[in-house]
Amino acid sequence: MKRLHLAGVVAAAAFVILAPFITGNGFHLKVLFMIGVNYLAAVGLNVLVNHTGQKSLGHAGLFAVGAYTAALLTTRFEWSPWLAFAASGVTAGVFGALVALPALRVAGPALAMVTIGFGIVIEKIVSEWQDVFGGQAGIYGVVSPSVGGTDFGPREWVWFTGALCLVAHLAVRSLLRGKHGRAFRAVSHAEIAAESVGVSVYRVKVLAFVVSAITCGFAGALVAQQNQYINSDFITFGLSIFFLLIVLFGGSSPAGPLLGAILLTLLDAFLARWPHIQHFTYGLLLLFALYLMRDGLSGAIGALARKVVPSLGVPPALPTAVGDWQLRAGEVASPDRPLLEARGLRKAYGGVVPVNRVDLDLRTGHIHSLIGPNGAGKTTLINLLSGIVAPDEGSVVFNGRPLAGLAPNRVCRLGLGRTFQNLKLFVDMTVLENVEVGLHAHLDAGMWHTLWATRTAVREEHEARDEALRILDFLDLRDKANERAGSLPYGLQRRLEIARALATHPRLLLLDEPAAGLNPQETGDLIDVIGRIRDRGITILLIEHHMDLVMKISDHVIVLDRGEKIAEGPPSEVQRNPRVIRAYLGDDDAAEDDLPPGIATAGGHG
Amino acid sequence: MVVLLQALFSGLALGGIYSLVAVGFNITHGTTRTFNFGQGEFLVAGAFVSVSVLLLLAGKGINAPLDAIDVTPTVYAVSLVGGTLVTAVLGVMLYFTAVRPFAGRPGLAWVMSTIGFGILVQNTALAIWGPSPVPMPSPLGNDVIRLAGAGFVPQEILVLVVSVAVLIALDVVMRRTRLGKAMRAVAENRNAATLMGIDVSAVVVGAFVLSSAFAGLAGLLVAPITTASVYMGLTLALKAFSAAIVGGLDNPRGCMLGGFLMGLLEALVGLWHAELREIAIFLLIIVVLAVKPEGLLGRRRVEKV
Repeated sequence: MKRLHLAGVVAAAAFVILAPFITGNGFHLKVLFMIGVNYLAAVGLNVLVNHTGQKSLGHAGLFAVGAYTAALLTTRFEWSPWLAFAASGVTAGVFGALVALPALRVAGPALAMVTIGFGIVIEKIVSEWQDVFGGQAGIYGVVSPSVGGTDFGPREWVWFTGALCLVAHLAVRSLLRGKHGRAFRAVSHAEIAAESVGVSVYRVKVLAFVVSAITCGFAGALVAQQNQYINSDFITFGLSIFFLLIVLFGGSSPAGPLLGAILLTLLDAFLARWPHIQHFTYGLLLLFALYLMRDGLSGAIGALARKVVPSLGVPPALPTAVGDWQLRAGEVASPDRPLLEARGLRKAYGGVVPVNRVDLDLRTGHIHSLIGPNGAGKTTLINLLSGIVAPDEGSVVFNGRPLAGLAPNRVCRLGLGRTFQNLKLFVDMTVLENVEVGLHAHLDAGMWHTLWATRTAVREEHEARDEALRILDFLDLRDKANERAGSLPYGLQRRLEIARALATHPRLLLLDEPAAGLNPQETGDLIDVIGRIRDRGITILLIEHHMDLVMKISDHVIVLDRGEKIAEGPPSEVQRNPRVIRAYLGDDDAAEDDLPPGIATAGGHG
Repeated sequence: MVVLLQALFSGLALGGIYSLVAVGFNITHGTTRTFNFGQGEFLVAGAFVSVSVLLLLAGKGINAPLDAIDVTPTVYAVSLVGGTLVTAVLGVMLYFTAVRPFAGRPGLAWVMSTIGFGILVQNTALAIWGPSPVPMPSPLGNDVIRLAGAGFVPQEILVLVVSVAVLIALDVVMRRTRLGKAMRAVAENRNAATLMGIDVSAVVVGAFVLSSAFAGLAGLLVAPITTASVYMGLTLALKAFSAAIVGGLDNPRGCMLGGFLMGLLEALVGLWHAELREIAIFLLIIVVLAVKPEGLLGRRRVEKV
């Protein structure tokens, strides 16, 4: 793979260097230049659309920000064209962050609509505010960069754009291969799960928007400076659609934006004489490309290539001996206090009160179980503790820190991990990658290192991989490391969720029905796994309906019924508690056959 | 004062248009969690088909200019039926080609496919009717009606009356009739609705027919005010969507309210600075999304974890 990539990069670079010598034809050079411009816009948009799963229909607006920044700075303020070019990427990035702001509150179609709105507002501003932006008359005399006093000619533009594309490709590629790339995909698969393992969904989305905005802004500046002119006719909804079409048609792999840019720029050039047919073709492509190729052209080609040359599909070999996994030592705020103290937690949905004034004390090193009939409020309680749902009243103090108002990713970073009753794995990522996402908060290499794949970043990635393998070893998932998470059998998917949560180095692990859907053999294994996790120094709170499991491993059992805590204590005591028996059985003469086995033997007959 | 009164009235009329389209978004979003991002082009189709019907009824070719004398209330009503029928059929085509294959698939593929469908509709319209805007006379004439010193354009009165009547009728249908209850049941819970014997696919197709017909109707109503243009769709649909977001996409009454609010806002801002209308609307959207993302009358959906 590595060699294939290197060969591709060298070939592309050689082509860009030689092509302007082979053809002096202005039209050909212009088409080459436009391929570069469109590639540049698409390489960032690919991160946003195909990797992070956010649809933007307003990138013409960001293109405009870049173009007009370069135009205004060189004409009005007489900045150096090089400086103005650099500034265009910066301002576009700032605007990208602005567009991403609503992403905090809305998702899906509403966000897509917001991006259209942004594009239209920019279009209106540049066409109506003529004093500054010149409207349809435009801005003339945009200064193009020059070397040694001579302005760029068509050849220099091809070289300059080609070099930029190469740099952008390398940077985006290392971005996507590192921790941010995993975070992008995690957010596009399951936002809540990403938050629960310490990934800030909001920051990831903002980052993706900013990356796409920067490359799009540079694309705009290139066009303005090459034409030495820009007007409002460049900025249309159609341009936003065109950019989106390139990345959807090209596909998500690093080659995708290139394929898309080449094909659509050529199509655009060929069909320019017949604008009706041109737009009609775009409509058809939008409508049907998605039917035929789910991951665009590069995805289809990649799948075909792996079929023809099976060795391409073989994942890289993983190191065999990685050692034993250990929990990182964290600070202990106050050793004499409980690890987690909840006081008066309450949550109501209208008239339903799933959690009503519940107090909770979890002691370090213990296995706590939370039991209760269906609808008792167990999962809501766990959601309150992990920050996914905000309580109406009450407080939680974890390891000496109040958790009020913290986002789930902050709660996780403080050392509170969790799994989900309804599995929320990143199904299209490998088992190994799922665990590596869990390590996200513990990887510190800065953006600069990630972008240029410095030695620091590479070393950290290797360490992350090794640690993820240690965790998989610990949970006997090692041989599945390169499989797609979604393809694992159900029992192993449940275990992978535990592995992913362990990767966050939790001091307290919340397990929501870890045995649901497991067969007796798997349940037995799970008991063993939970015991081993506790032995590594992790406190556990689990929700379970399998009473034999609960009674066997718990140090402390908490019983909820209709949102209220009705009993707690050691398993043997709880089993005999009349209120617990009543909660499971109803008031007097309910059928004992319905009893969970643990309660039935101890409570019913004891 | 008089100016303000006139602006308010124009705003309400425009709001009626937005409400019709916004309610259309609500109907399909409720039943399928999708809606047509190319809805604006359906307005275009509705307007131009109706113009053509009017021309054919007047015995002219479809590219001839339309005179005031050609548009009587009766033929306008006939053209209205023609326009909504065509858009309703387009709605069925849209559902089967662009929505059903993609609904429920991750990554908002349906957003792209409905935009693609809209582009096809727009360019077909462009090929048939050309790029230049077509002025369309109002069936009620252009004599301004004077009332309390303010002048009212007859078409605006017509728009307001028709849209309010249609919206009230829709509200009654949704709340009182079997069909309406079936639609609401499907919106609430598809599986449960199937189990209760409701033909969910028929309801869903019906939702697209209704939503598209509303867009066609809106196109015909707005054409005499703004002139019919192949390019008028995008901004109209976008404002209607903004209206749906402001009012609450999952609440039909919220969408209606949002539509009228949007029309009023646009008219009032227009009094002050005409070129700031769009900007004001999208700023409002961002404020609403920041403060109350579910919309004024919407319900917040809680994702089950």
